[in-house]
Amino acid sequence: MNGNTTVRRSLFRFLEVLCILVWLFPLFWLILTSLKAEGDVVTRTLSFWPKRLTFENYVKAFTSTEILRWMGNSIFISFVTMAVTLVVDAPMAYAFAKIRFPGKSILFWLVMAGMMIPFQVLIIPLYLQFNAMGLINSLASAIIPRLALPIGIFIMKQFYEGIPTALEEAAFIDGANRFTVFVRIILPLGKAAMATVMILSFINAWNDFLWPLIAINDTIKYTITVGIANFQGTHGTQYALIMAGAVIASIPQFIFYVFFRKNIIAGIASTGIKG
Amino acid sequence: MAIPGNKDTRDGLLFSLPFLIVFVIFMIFPLVFGLIISFFNWNILGTPSFIGLENYFALFRDSKFYSSLWHTFEFVLMTTPALLLLGFAMALAVTGGSPLKGVMENVFFVPYIFSMTVVSTLWAWIMQKDFGIFNQLLVATGHGPVGWLTNEKMAMWSVALTTLWWTAGFNMVLFSAGIKQIPKEVYESAQIDGASWWQVVRKITVPLVAPTTVLCLILQVIASFNVFGQVYVMTGGGPYGTTRVLVQYIYETGFKYFKMGYSAAMSYILFLIILVISVVQYLLLGRKEEA
Repeated sequence: MNGNTTVRRSLFRFLEVLCILVWLFPLFWLILTSLKAEGDVVTRTLSFWPKRLTFENYVKAFTSTEILRWMGNSIFISFVTMAVTLVVDAPMAYAFAKIRFPGKSILFWLVMAGMMIPFQVLIIPLYLQFNAMGLINSLASAIIPRLALPIGIFIMKQFYEGIPTALEEAAFIDGANRFTVFVRIILPLGKAAMATVMILSFINAWNDFLWPLIAINDTIKYTITVGIANFQGTHGTQYALIMAGAVIASIPQFIFYVFFRKNIIAGIASTGIKG
Repeated sequence: MAIPGNKDTRDGLLFSLPFLIVFVIFMIFPLVFGLIISFFNWNILGTPSFIGLENYFALFRDSKFYSSLWHTFEFVLMTTPALLLLGFAMALAVTGGSPLKGVMENVFFVPYIFSMTVVSTLWAWIMQKDFGIFNQLLVATGHGPVGWLTNEKMAMWSVALTTLWWTAGFNMVLFSAGIKQIPKEVYESAQIDGASWWQVVRKITVPLVAPTTVLCLILQVIASFNVFGQVYVMTGGGPYGTTRVLVQYIYETGFKYFKMGYSAAMSYILFLIILVISVVQYLLLGRKEEA
């Protein structure tokens, strides 16, 4: 190896480290601000390191805001959305993949066309609809419009098509019906696709903003995204408190990411879904 | 076949039913209902009255509609090229031979796992005009403070920068999946022929990830067209409405001024624009790829 490549290599490593630090800085700043006393945050001159680190903002966030409530709401909404999405969408995906029934191909293209509909187009009619049904301002209103997930159907259908029909036929010969086959054979073998769809629907539900902003008015029924967005309005210049709230709000997602990192990345790479 | 055909029809229907109920009631119906609303003068308190295409005509006379549409285009133009380039550059970095590639992949992707409101709140703080770290650093180094979110010329750029940090990692994942699909032999033979790194990127990687680029472009333009949350949290549409985007105007018209018909008409225009753009992009870029 000659000197030239060594220099170039070190230069590359240096640039890479620089990029990593720049990209991480906002997160570092988020956590550092949240650990500062409010008085150390609102200063006219640059104060990078605080005089002391404190957890008082976290205590305050838990005791004097509804953040725990909002987290609970979001966790409830996301888990229910995820579970019911599977119950609703997996049988449809299976029917598309394996059952021959009249009108199937037309229905399939209709569902795929559903992917093209931006959710923003539906907010006015959905609001009026939920209002008429008396569901506005309930957690159910945040869940229901997210249950039909065309991309989820597509992912599961692709996967189910790869499961050999011979397996099902063997079960049918043994006297099993469709439902048994679906629950005993298809669902267990389709776990990977199911995981992708679960993650997708969980993240969608957790990050949803515009719809819960419209559908839910009671502060205690807010989702965490809406709650955090309104933090600035209600807590004005208490930046350290706001940052502590933002950190707390991100903990579930962070845990989720640590556990499902591989699935999340594989899911994006295979479907290209933007939240 | 062990199963008689008549049961297939019944099973197909039974398995489709739960989904179809939700799909029809909460997707197809609102889609049609929204179009109908757009032909009405529909105030949430009063009785709706049919006015034909009047909402659409009124839109074309509404300067706020034009400015919101323009701001949306502005945001798309600011973010899309930067996000594609940065995503691609990141993908090159994490698929190369660097010992830091695993760290980089995590670090570049991690902002995307935070929700948009957290990211926007954080950057609004970083860009805060008196106490934000950006301006404090500028002032400490002898420069004047910048109105990141309060200057009419800066605000949209600041929102775009925030979005860049938030979602570049998403495009990185797509691009690195595309790069990993390129056969190793192609690179090996290029190396034997003595091609430089830059030549390899330009002559091999870029053309061979073209399908991924098309996918990224379409997803990115659609996502940017639907921008709302970042603007809502960071600037509220200000200063002086210079960052008010179309979805925000739809939201305000519908839920602040309660003009449901007008708002629905606007959302149909947005739908139409997104549809046209995706079809045009698909046709143009898809054809180029085949040639």
